[in-house]
Amino acid sequence: MKHIGTLEHFLIALISITLLNTFLGENFQSTAIVSTLVALTVMYKGFVVIDHFMELKGTHKYLRLMMKAYFVIFPSLIILTVFY
Amino acid sequence: MSTKQADEPLGIFFASWSEKRAGRVPGNIPIWVGILSELTEFGIFFTAYFIAKFYYPDVFSSGPQSLNTTIGVFNTIVLLSSSYFMAKAMANIRLNNLVKCERFLWLAFICGCTYLCLKTWEFHWNDLQGYSTSTNEFFTVYYYMTFNHFLHVGWAACAILWVIFRLRKGAYSAEENSGLEALAVYWHMIDLMWILIFPLLYVLR
Repeated sequence: MKHIGTLEHFLIALISITLLNTFLGENFQSTAIVSTLVALTVMYKGFVVIDHFMELKGTHKYLRLMMKAYFVIFPSLIILTVFY
Repeated sequence: MSTKQADEPLGIFFASWSEKRAGRVPGNIPIWVGILSELTEFGIFFTAYFIAKFYYPDVFSSGPQSLNTTIGVFNTIVLLSSSYFMAKAMANIRLNNLVKCERFLWLAFICGCTYLCLKTWEFHWNDLQGYSTSTNEFFTVYYYMTFNHFLHVGWAACAILWVIFRLRKGAYSAEENSGLEALAVYWHMIDLMWILIFPLLYVLR
């Protein structure tokens, strides 16, 4: 049997989160909890791609910081929309 | 210009930003200038989305229900898979496994083309439902964001073909693969933008 590596685990996690977010969006109105959950999972997905697919972990620390800041700022705005 | 002069830093950035102190720049500096430009461009789109949602909450609440979510989900899975294939291509070039590297690049290219086909079908489906850029504010933002992303996937897919051509010519190896890595980080950036676009347009009501 072929060994499933780290990248494969992350891919499965990313697809699972996408399906979970879609389920939440389809079945629930965008309440504070749903919006916050979606924002946090989007943040996590971004971090996984930045660190493990883009492989910024262990490279230029300011480029990594900038990419991660992007995935903190915009998902945070999703949480902010709860208060509209 | 002598080699010594060409290698000297320009002295316009802080010394702490140098590769020596902050760490290696994946790919090359020009691709990161491009990535920063793209991030700014998409950042403006996202800001426009949140401002429009603030002023037209009802339109943005009903908008996602008008879209074909199934195609949106498939496109997300296709782009995540393409990022995975690109990461595998990079892992294989570092092992000097050129055959496997090329195979994963083709898989990433096929994912890119699949995304383009699905997106074209989605635009056609929207058209059949009677939706266009002028339907309402949600659809204006939707087309503005997704068509721009569509173009990025299109030209990055062409860049994959170019990299495959260069790989076959022997331009990349375990020791020298900065061109391939530059394409990989650009491709991942496009995937990252879709990771943000998908919940904004298809999930959140």
